[in-house]
Amino acid sequence: MANPMEQFQIEKMVPLAVAGKDVSFTNSSLWMLVAMLIVAAFLYIGTSRPQLVPGRAQAAVEYLYSFIRDMLRENVGKEGLRYAPLIFTVFIFVLACNLLGLIPFVGAFTPTSHIAVTFGLAMIVFVLVLIVGFAKHGLHFFTLFLPEGTPVFVLPLVAAIEFLSFLSRPFTLAIRLFANMTAGHVLLKVFGGFIVGLGSFEALPYVLGIIPLSVNVALTALELLIAVVQAYVFALLASIYLNDAVNLH
Amino acid sequence: MPQFDPANFLPQLAWLAVIFAVLYFAIVRPTLPKVGRVIDEREQRVSSDLDAAEVAKTEADAIRTRYDAGMATAREAAQAEVAAARAKASQAIETRMKALAATLDARSDEAAVRIAAARSAAEAKLAATTADLTGEAVARLTGLTVSPAEIDAALASAR
Repeated sequence: MANPMEQFQIEKMVPLAVAGKDVSFTNSSLWMLVAMLIVAAFLYIGTSRPQLVPGRAQAAVEYLYSFIRDMLRENVGKEGLRYAPLIFTVFIFVLACNLLGLIPFVGAFTPTSHIAVTFGLAMIVFVLVLIVGFAKHGLHFFTLFLPEGTPVFVLPLVAAIEFLSFLSRPFTLAIRLFANMTAGHVLLKVFGGFIVGLGSFEALPYVLGIIPLSVNVALTALELLIAVVQAYVFALLASIYLNDAVNLH
Repeated sequence: MPQFDPANFLPQLAWLAVIFAVLYFAIVRPTLPKVGRVIDEREQRVSSDLDAAEVAKTEADAIRTRYDAGMATAREAAQAEVAAARAKASQAIETRMKALAATLDARSDEAAVRIAAARSAAEAKLAATTADLTGEAVARLTGLTVSPAEIDAALASAR
């Protein structure tokens, strides 16, 4: 029986090195590339001839884009709409990676189940928040760690806690997505192993495998939901963090 | 877990950076704002259309009020005119009825006079004829010739 961890194995497809550092093209890179190409097709088809009354492809793009815009309008305000393309990029990239990884046989690898990838994405959001915060408020941005109305004698403690929670944001963002994806895929593979194990019971072949198979069907539906919800949560938290940078609470 | 193998970090981060940069700068930036503009344009169009509809509605309401007022005054004027015409007509009918009654009275008086004359003439003629017939009857029956004056006297006493 295959190890449930085997699916996360990174395989070098084209060994590459820049300045002595290993930057090989791996199966992870391949699936990120596939996600990018699918998003590209989706966007180029959907926006090829923008019309006031949209066609199907345009309506699909508009639906997702309006979703992100509304989220930013709600959480950040009108100023947040400037960052809609970037948040949209993060959202759709995570969504595409999550969903592609769920295709049986074909989507054998999920880049978002790797902490390096999710941390990279979280750092994009974190760096964006820092740049926007300092560009907009300068050193005033540090007042983010001093909540209004805090008694002076606990202020140092509160500021330290706020600062720590601010620094931990990219980690929580990265770990949430990575853990969800990893756990889901491990679960799917474990039950896949059960199907093989129970199905090859000599006295009554195949029949007993139906039980874990039906569990796996249900789990796949659940994982589809989680794939979408986690992409949404990632974008939602990104816009909430962006709100701190734009509006300082 | 392969996820925590540090050897896997750099290749993934490098390719993520490249792919995300291409995705953002070469794919999302040139395409998505087009749709954003269309969404804005549509929102603007809808709100301006709603405003135009609002303006048109107030205009229509104003026209409606003006129309109602015009209709009311016109109706009043028409009713006044009808009343005046009716009064005038009834007056004219009255005067003509009076004139007609006067002519009819005159004619009936005239007729009464003529009737009286005709009756007296007829009575005179009847009397004469009666006298003639009486004289003739007397002559035939008795053979006597009686003068008309005698007959008249006899008839007058008999009557």
